[in-house]
Amino acid sequence: MTISILLSVISGIAFGLFIFPQAYVSSIGIIVDIGLCALLFFVGIDIGRNKDILHQIKQTGIKVLLVPLMVAGGSILGSIVGGELLNLPFNESSAVGAGFGWYSLSAIELSKYSAETGALAFITNVCREIIAILTIPFVAKYIGTLEAIAPAGATAMDTSLPVISKSTDGNTAIISFITGLTLSVLVPILVPLLIAMG
Amino acid sequence: MRILLYIFIISIGIIIGYKDILTEKWMRSISKIQMLCLLFLLFVMGLNIGVNRNIVNIFMKLGYQALVLSTFSIIFSIIGVKLVSKRLGNIKRGERGHDN
Repeated sequence: MTISILLSVISGIAFGLFIFPQAYVSSIGIIVDIGLCALLFFVGIDIGRNKDILHQIKQTGIKVLLVPLMVAGGSILGSIVGGELLNLPFNESSAVGAGFGWYSLSAIELSKYSAETGALAFITNVCREIIAILTIPFVAKYIGTLEAIAPAGATAMDTSLPVISKSTDGNTAIISFITGLTLSVLVPILVPLLIAMG
Repeated sequence: MRILLYIFIISIGIIIGYKDILTEKWMRSISKIQMLCLLFLLFVMGLNIGVNRNIVNIFMKLGYQALVLSTFSIIFSIIGVKLVSKRLGNIKRGERGHDN
């Protein structure tokens, strides 16, 4: 499965770079939306078929939120460490990391601070989404199912969710959705907060 | 608004899955359709990135920094979840992987 995922993404990028006519660009967004909705529907079926998920989630209760909390902390800390290596100011690297893969929003927020930081937030979070989709099957197989949610960040509720669902199980899929939802709420709060700390 | 749409669609899926409306035979074909849909979606997402000259140009300029920041974010996120995954052990049970 990992290889088919890799081939799909890479051939898509290559096709877009060299073959796809620019005139049809506007219709791509609609196709992505339709495909995403269909896949979310299938993920729902997988979750529903696993009868004791909701019971288990209730039992775990608020502890489920530890996953988004750790992903948020890890993402910001990781980007600060990476930023140190690149000699980026603390507020810029942490704010870029707090995009959690949601590239459009983090880029818009940070372009108010500077065009360069906005562009960096954009491309960093695009990279995060691509790396997430490519590595999730590996992480699920060799590290753990819950850990497979981590690379996805905020995209754990939409674009990465079908990949997580396919590489793990219904339980992880629902935690993934909750994680993505929580992180998506945090992005518009944390990004402006962190950039203001400079 | 988009988040509400996602919750709505997943909920319909959950109800259909929970009610056992679909037979095993149906589920097998759904699994195949799901895989094809996924690969198609990933292809189109890749296409969407490749076709956007803006992304390509920014990547040429800032790609190195972006790769460092995103890779570190991902690694530290995985470590973070690993630290708590044992405490959440009881929800990790359940059928493992339809990895194919």
